[in-house]
Amino acid sequence: MDCYTANWNPLGDSAFYRKYELYSMDWDLKEELRDCLVAAAPYGGPIVLQNRVLDARIFHTEFGSGVAILTGAHRFTLSANVGDLKLRRMPEVPGLQSAPSCWTVLCQDRVAHILLAVGPDLYLLDHAACSAVTPPGLAPGVSSFLQMAVSFTYRHLALFTDTGYIWMGTASLKEKLCEFNCNIRAPPKQMVWCSRPRSKERAVVVAWERRLMVVGDAPESIQFVLDEDSYLVPELDGVRIFSRSTHEFLHEVPAASEEIFKIASMAPGALLLEAQKEYEKESQKADEYLREIQELGQLTQAVQQCIEAAGHEHQPDMQKSLLRAASFGKCFLDRFPPDSFVHMCQDLRVLNAVRDYHIGIPLTYSQYKQLTIQVLLDRLVLRRLYPLAIQICEYLRLPEVQGVSRILAHWACYKVQQKDVSDEDVARAINQKLGDTPGVSYSDIAARAYGCGRTELAIKLLEYEPRSGEQVPLLLKMKRSKLALSKAIESGDTDLVFTVLLHLKNELNRGDFFMTLRNQPMALSLYRQFCKHQELETLKDLYNQDDNHQELGSFHIRASYAAEERIEGRVAALQTAADAFYKAKNEFAAKATEDQMRLLRLQRRLEDELGGQFLDLSLHDTVTTLILGGHNKRAEQLARDFRIPDKRLWWLKLTALADLEDWEELEKFSKSKKSPIGYLPFVEICMKQHNKYEAKKYASRVGPEQKVKALLLVGDVAQAADVAIEHRNEAELSLVLSHCTGATDGATADKIQRARAQAQKK
Amino acid sequence: MAAHLSYGRVNLNVLREAVRRELREFLDKCAGSKAIVWDEYLTGPFGLIAQYSLLKEHEVEKMFTLKGNRLPAADVKNIIFFVRPRLELMDIIAENVLSEDRRGPTRDFHILFVPRRSLLCEQRLKDLGVLGSFIHREEYSLDLIPFDGDLLSMESEGAFKECYLEGDQTSLYHAAKGLMTLQALYGTIPQIFGKGECARQVANMMIRMKREFTGSQNSIFPVFDNLLLLDRNVDLLTPLATQLTYEGLIDEIYGIQNSYVKLPPEKFAPKKQGDGGKDLPTEAKKLQLNSAEELYAEIRDKNFNAVGSVLSKKAKIISAAFEERHNAKTVGEIKQFVSQLPHMQAARGSLANHTSIAELIKDVTTSEDFFDKLTVEQEFMSGIDTDKVNNYIEDCIAQKHSLIKVLRLVCLQSVCNSGLKQKVLDYYKREILQTYGYEHILTLHNLEKAGLLKPQTGGRNNYPTIRKTLRLWMDDVNEQGFCSLIISQNPTDISYVYSGYAPLSVRLAQLLSRPGWRSIEEVLRILPGPHFEERQPLPTGLQKKRQPGENRVTLIFFLGGVTFAEIAALRFLSQLEDGGTEYVIATTKLMNGTSWIEALMEKPF
Repeated sequence: MDCYTANWNPLGDSAFYRKYELYSMDWDLKEELRDCLVAAAPYGGPIVLQNRVLDARIFHTEFGSGVAILTGAHRFTLSANVGDLKLRRMPEVPGLQSAPSCWTVLCQDRVAHILLAVGPDLYLLDHAACSAVTPPGLAPGVSSFLQMAVSFTYRHLALFTDTGYIWMGTASLKEKLCEFNCNIRAPPKQMVWCSRPRSKERAVVVAWERRLMVVGDAPESIQFVLDEDSYLVPELDGVRIFSRSTHEFLHEVPAASEEIFKIASMAPGALLLEAQKEYEKESQKADEYLREIQELGQLTQAVQQCIEAAGHEHQPDMQKSLLRAASFGKCFLDRFPPDSFVHMCQDLRVLNAVRDYHIGIPLTYSQYKQLTIQVLLDRLVLRRLYPLAIQICEYLRLPEVQGVSRILAHWACYKVQQKDVSDEDVARAINQKLGDTPGVSYSDIAARAYGCGRTELAIKLLEYEPRSGEQVPLLLKMKRSKLALSKAIESGDTDLVFTVLLHLKNELNRGDFFMTLRNQPMALSLYRQFCKHQELETLKDLYNQDDNHQELGSFHIRASYAAEERIEGRVAALQTAADAFYKAKNEFAAKATEDQMRLLRLQRRLEDELGGQFLDLSLHDTVTTLILGGHNKRAEQLARDFRIPDKRLWWLKLTALADLEDWEELEKFSKSKKSPIGYLPFVEICMKQHNKYEAKKYASRVGPEQKVKALLLVGDVAQAADVAIEHRNEAELSLVLSHCTGATDGATADKIQRARAQAQKK
Repeated sequence: MAAHLSYGRVNLNVLREAVRRELREFLDKCAGSKAIVWDEYLTGPFGLIAQYSLLKEHEVEKMFTLKGNRLPAADVKNIIFFVRPRLELMDIIAENVLSEDRRGPTRDFHILFVPRRSLLCEQRLKDLGVLGSFIHREEYSLDLIPFDGDLLSMESEGAFKECYLEGDQTSLYHAAKGLMTLQALYGTIPQIFGKGECARQVANMMIRMKREFTGSQNSIFPVFDNLLLLDRNVDLLTPLATQLTYEGLIDEIYGIQNSYVKLPPEKFAPKKQGDGGKDLPTEAKKLQLNSAEELYAEIRDKNFNAVGSVLSKKAKIISAAFEERHNAKTVGEIKQFVSQLPHMQAARGSLANHTSIAELIKDVTTSEDFFDKLTVEQEFMSGIDTDKVNNYIEDCIAQKHSLIKVLRLVCLQSVCNSGLKQKVLDYYKREILQTYGYEHILTLHNLEKAGLLKPQTGGRNNYPTIRKTLRLWMDDVNEQGFCSLIISQNPTDISYVYSGYAPLSVRLAQLLSRPGWRSIEEVLRILPGPHFEERQPLPTGLQKKRQPGENRVTLIFFLGGVTFAEIAALRFLSQLEDGGTEYVIATTKLMNGTSWIEALMEKPF
């Protein structure tokens, strides 16, 4: 344990800094680092070496990464976002003859400024102007600034002067934090801030050829020897240092680790760790330590400390012993929410995996939390570390749509670019891996394949896409309209089918289009519907093509009403319809249509000869109109010509004559021969016209079955009763009884009751 | 507000709230004052979802009906078109937009497609050069609209015609989408049964859509145990017969539209002394009919014969309750009486309304013609003389009774005889054409295409087999047209809704629940279309363990429409003590024989 803090270096009274190796470098580097311009992304990001670029600075804002360039003409150009390269030229710096001795980019209020040093002067350059600035409390005697460094959060600035003096203050240049004199006048190779959120003692790390110095608000600095060319990468919570052979991390020891590991620490976490170790040794001291913590009521805090400290340890062994201690402590707590412990175990497992030098993302716990798992997965995907990314998703049980599916989709998009593999194999490989994984968009992958010029592969991939809404547009884009059509039909989405149809209609010639429709009945009926409302002529062509004579007939029937005004035109249209019905072997419809033509012509003649309105009346109404007009002969003739059944004709005449109130004619008619509809209708219709006198004439002629009804209609209750009694019909008896009204028909009612009683006796 | 939706076994208010939320979200996207231009067809169904007050809360200041030319003036920031995705409506919208006065204040245009956005329509708007004028083009997936605590409808008038005549499955696609929405709210339905071609297609679409949605795992505990999809053309018979329940008769005679009915006003005139009946109201009386009204909920599904006695019993109870005031002596008693007054007055109003309605209906049902018609219907359904020309129908034609009435009867005869003999069929057709006009040849053709009217093929009449196996005709129920009073008041079988005829569709549902369709394989093979069963696997955590005695919940979806009598029959089954199954009913359209035939008619001029 004691030796654990061996690499801890105190800075000032309160803080320690430690430096440990992340992994040794295994790169095949030809040049020396010093010959290269080096850029490294934070959060354990990748390192880029370049040996032929002018001076440039990369900076990071909340909108992305920007770049500032110093041109050969000593002008600055700046782009706030490398993704969207809008270069902005900064104003000229007055009197700048040679390159500034040092410069950097400051970000304040979301705006990037450039701070540059020329001789003893500092200038702040923004989009509009260039102004001289002076850091407060700067020691006198400076004739040149050799290095400047802005902190990770852009809040702090450090300046290194030719007098070996370091000024540290706020980036706004309004406040000084501290200063330090290192007495080394040689220009440092690099200077960066080394701090962390809630840092106790911010520090600046200065690197010379073979020396590394950590400087803060303390009289003494920490010094390290550098064995080879090294490069510093400032991070959120420390500094990465890499060289040809090694990659190290320097940071201020986090609070929890310090509490636990500080020599002779009595912090609850430290005691718990000790207790657990004793417990493993089966020593009773374990109990003493535990009691000590519990007496102070600090067990919860102890567990928390151990968990937190585990997060900040780089070595899995140490992580494990801290977590074991936490787990041990938890046993003595009633209610300790398990989340923090579980999550820490999970996070550490992920971190240890990506920290492996094969992967080479040396994230610290704080960086990881800041970066988020989603971004980390993105980075893994970008590096094509698909299996690891998937393992992490599965391990963390991320929802498939955000996790495994997304990664598989990326993998598939990469896979389709492998030109040396056959379409078959790629499609199969992708489907094997992806299967029906929810949230995978096969159409996106297919679109990528199409983008790479692999149409066939794209089509194969689309086969796996369950959402037709996604399949169809891409198929149309790839000019596979017929395939698109069958996919649209499969989906049942008629709108989608229509869309493809209209596409096909423009793409194919009419014949081919119709042929295509013919093979797709569902599409054909939809298109027919469309034509019914939009393109009547096409509808006819469609029916013709299918030899659908029945529908053609109906089509012409409709046309005879809609398109034709003149009678000749209408008759011609009907003739075409009748012909079509014959072809359809629908003899009934053909004959009916011919009848209609005959009627139309006749109605026309009637209008000419008699005046009045006949056209478009039904046959029945035409005959009625004729009778009402007194043209009985013509009515008879028409009825004969069209063979109106006798029964209906009787009803018709009866109704018409009653309407006319031509009672004489009605009576004549009733006697013309035996009525096929009986005489009850005569009674009824007379009563409807309130002619009881006429009604009674017919009542006597009504057949026995309806006699009672007829007598009741004309109000002859007594006679009705007699007939009913004669019939010995129970239903009729009750019907009559229901018509008996108290006062007048009392006797009749009694009679019926008697008859009933008698019937029952028998 | 819509409390009656939450009374049932499944709380359909959840659905209503979900669609209301969606509407509000859309309205809020168009910031500022707005005017809505309505596709007239949508206003009825929308009324069941959101009253004007909701729209007003979201700054809707004006409402117009969609029509050509220029839009009426309105000082609003947004003009929103609420339309069905139909090309002809797009043309009108384009006309509106193009004739917008450029000199006036600029207004933002938006379109809300109900229930689905359409590429075809957008293409049309693009061709007309106005697509770019719209800021928001969105869809409002209002597929299934909650009508009552156990009733959902798409109110898609043309659904039957489109599906069975025109081969257009758009409404089936919407039905499948609606079912997906239901499953998102009420959990995956583990079992799907179906009978009919359209049912098969909807099930296929659902299964396909489920595959498309994988990933967004539905973790809701399933409310429905199974889904039964039924094609209307499996049972063409039922809607043709005259419904004899209270609600069914109101619909048959006056037509219920989006749960409202318009009645002749005379019977509803306020009976005030000294009024002398001078100013009788001339405007139709409009009433909303749903289970929010206690009395209506009680009588709607009864055979009309049983309604009178319930009404008189209620009348006695209510007047007794009002008499209570004389017994109220202490201040406390009076206070209690007064507190009940609003409820009692509402009950009295409701009773007065339904007494009037019942009188109106009675005038019709006691007429001789109604009796004759019913007799013929019942003869057909019980299989008497279905193979020859019927005298009554002949007389109806000769007297030019309404064509729809005649068509209903002829179709009923055809269906009850598995098609008519060619001679009989031709005779009817000729009579109809001569009497009502040759243009009806198109309508007859449509009815034939839908299978409602057809020549008997193979000379075999299957209906008796179906009738006997499914026990469609219950003789003992029947007495003089209506059920005997005792049976109509205490029915023991669903056949009470047609006074003897048990609706085939509902019988299928009943037999599915017990003892299962395997027992009627033979009949199922005679009926059109495939029958099938599909299972939708549930994650283990969501599998239901039914408590002993707990009923299953079946969602039954009628593709092509359902009648109120069928609904009544299903409610009857739900209430059976040992029924074991409760039903929630969904349909493409609430309909009756008249509205059904009307939708199939074609008038070329």
